[in-house]
Amino acid sequence: MAGMGGGVVLIPVLTFFGLPIKEIIAISIVSVIATSSGAASAYVRDHITNLKVGMFLEMFTMSGAIIGAMITVATRQQYLYIVFGLVLLISWATMWFQSYQKWHPVTEQDGFSRWLELRGSYYDHAAGKTIEYSARRAYLGGPMMFCAGLVAGLLGIGAGALKVLVMDLVMGLPAKVSTTTSNLIIGVTGLAGASVYMAAGLIHPGLATPIIIGIVSGAFLGTRVLVRLQNRTIHMFFLFILALLAIEMLYKGIKGL
Amino acid sequence: MPSQPSSPHAPTASKFNMDLLVGWILLIGVLLSLTLLLCGALWHRLAVGTLTDDFHLGGTNLLEFVIAEAHSLVGGALRPRILISGGIAVLMITPYIRVLASMLYFLIEERNLKYTIFTLFVLSVLSYSLMLH
Repeated sequence: MAGMGGGVVLIPVLTFFGLPIKEIIAISIVSVIATSSGAASAYVRDHITNLKVGMFLEMFTMSGAIIGAMITVATRQQYLYIVFGLVLLISWATMWFQSYQKWHPVTEQDGFSRWLELRGSYYDHAAGKTIEYSARRAYLGGPMMFCAGLVAGLLGIGAGALKVLVMDLVMGLPAKVSTTTSNLIIGVTGLAGASVYMAAGLIHPGLATPIIIGIVSGAFLGTRVLVRLQNRTIHMFFLFILALLAIEMLYKGIKGL
Repeated sequence: MPSQPSSPHAPTASKFNMDLLVGWILLIGVLLSLTLLLCGALWHRLAVGTLTDDFHLGGTNLLEFVIAEAHSLVGGALRPRILISGGIAVLMITPYIRVLASMLYFLIEERNLKYTIFTLFVLSVLSYSLMLH
């Protein structure tokens, strides 16, 4: 509803009920596959998602997710609480200082991005015209996406906000293309991380089932509630929730050290 | 009302519509998975009285997991757990099939060697991760 994946909220809420954080992270990353694939299916059919941008960046996010998940499996629980709390605080700061900058098309594409054929166009229904775009700085976007994948695998979240940030600010893609392509990438990132958690015996299908059903229903309902609420109301509500969850996770982590 | 112009990504009559295929793969995968999970959870609820099942996977990989559950199914052991396992397996396999379809598209339809290699790399690493122990 707020452009955030379910994992960011789901994980702190489930730790509140006393479930082990590593199992929750494993369940969350499986549910991330469901929510992102569901959303991506609609966006791809609308021809907004850029498959080439997605395929290029997936190489990096997927590798990052596998390493991130391996770190989680080998790490003490307390450190995970602290890292999660810090990621929530960063998300809070990003939301607080979020400025809705106007998108400016990339006028001169660098050689590497041109070689990668990172360009496209889509029909913008709101603007009533076709938007042509090109990506730039793919040589920076790739490694930065590795870091986004690392965070996703480490914490069992989609890390969609980070991915969109890289595509928007570093690669110069329009917001709609970044958001929809990010959804496509999250499915593969989630699968890579989930495989590591499955091998470690952390996937609990009996517990994952009601959570996946709940989170997909929540995402579906959220998009319907969204159209009835003002942007500022949603923004303030999630700033409050994020701050609360960040404090809870940091407290749990520091207490256990 | 302006007519919707075509774009490099928009399908044309002569061009294979990859966006549509990817969209349908993802949609069918998620819907099938959710149906299996929902049926498994409801069946479990009716049989046992709770929605959650104390069903834990010991360290395994997707391939072994699917083979083990298929063996149970062939052995006539259709129970809520099989539906739940099927739902999880379908969900995890959905992005894999999407990448496989993308690779075939870049190889056969676009004849784009660069992106065929990229998708092959993604597919290889995913295949490796699905066979991890």
